[in-house]
Amino acid sequence: MERNHLPRHLVLQRQSLFDQGLLDEQFIQLEELQDDANPNFVEEVVTSYYQNTSTLIVIIEQALGTSPLDFNKLDGYMYQLKGSSSSFGAKKVKADCTLFREYCKAGNVEGCMRTFQQLKKEYASLKRKLEAYFQLARQARVTGTASRPK
Amino acid sequence: MAPAIEGMVPAIESSEGNNKMNKGYQYPSWKKKLRGLVVDNEELCRIVEKGIMGLCGVETQAVETGEAAMELIASGATFDIIVIDRFLPSMTGPETARKMREMGVESKIIGLFALYFEGDEEEFVAAGVDDFKEKPLSPNWLVPILRELDN
Repeated sequence: MERNHLPRHLVLQRQSLFDQGLLDEQFIQLEELQDDANPNFVEEVVTSYYQNTSTLIVIIEQALGTSPLDFNKLDGYMYQLKGSSSSFGAKKVKADCTLFREYCKAGNVEGCMRTFQQLKKEYASLKRKLEAYFQLARQARVTGTASRPK
Repeated sequence: MAPAIEGMVPAIESSEGNNKMNKGYQYPSWKKKLRGLVVDNEELCRIVEKGIMGLCGVETQAVETGEAAMELIASGATFDIIVIDRFLPSMTGPETARKMREMGVESKIIGLFALYFEGDEEEFVAAGVDDFKEKPLSPNWLVPILRELDN
């Protein structure tokens, strides 16, 4: 559904995701690519992202529980998480991955721990907000079709 | 509304009875049948990169390892564009690119990375890639390259 035809509340909700810095240009570009044959590409990507990365988040948490920290391993995990997060424009999560990595390079244990807690919060928050957005968007598509005058 | 993606044309609205659906932005019609290969061990990245290339009109295959990519090429598959991640499980991204060039592959090869490591760019460039880019692979970045390949 073209953004021009979205109900106002959905437009505002979508815009807030960008205004809050949660999403970047990549998300917009992926939405622009969607067409009738692939109307849910972005939602499918986001769903796959949360399925694929949930285990990674647990693994990182476990790795942070070991002592001493294996910064090389953590770097590798961040590589995966950042790559995946950037693929659909998860701006804040991506930024947290970069920051975590800087702390890894500096061998700063407390920085890594703190940043990871922040990352987990952003990751979970984005999931809730995107799920809500996609649900409303689907409802709007159904409603829009049903109510269009002949 | 001007398209956000350079090279894309504005959305075409098609009406089918009451179902007025937007077709989305359409990539330019390529003169050639463009073929692409994604080499990325990270599943989500592979899905997105393949998806983006496909939606931009490139018939794309995706593999997880450098070895799998080399098998495809050895079997005679040819590609116009190949994107390779820096970190692959055994044969690295640069090693894969180098082997491709040694085999005579003349495709456009793009090295991708999620986090920058010192020396990565030099290694990829020495291996013979045409470009080296931080992820994500974005449509805005890809379409002009495809247009060049299509000419």
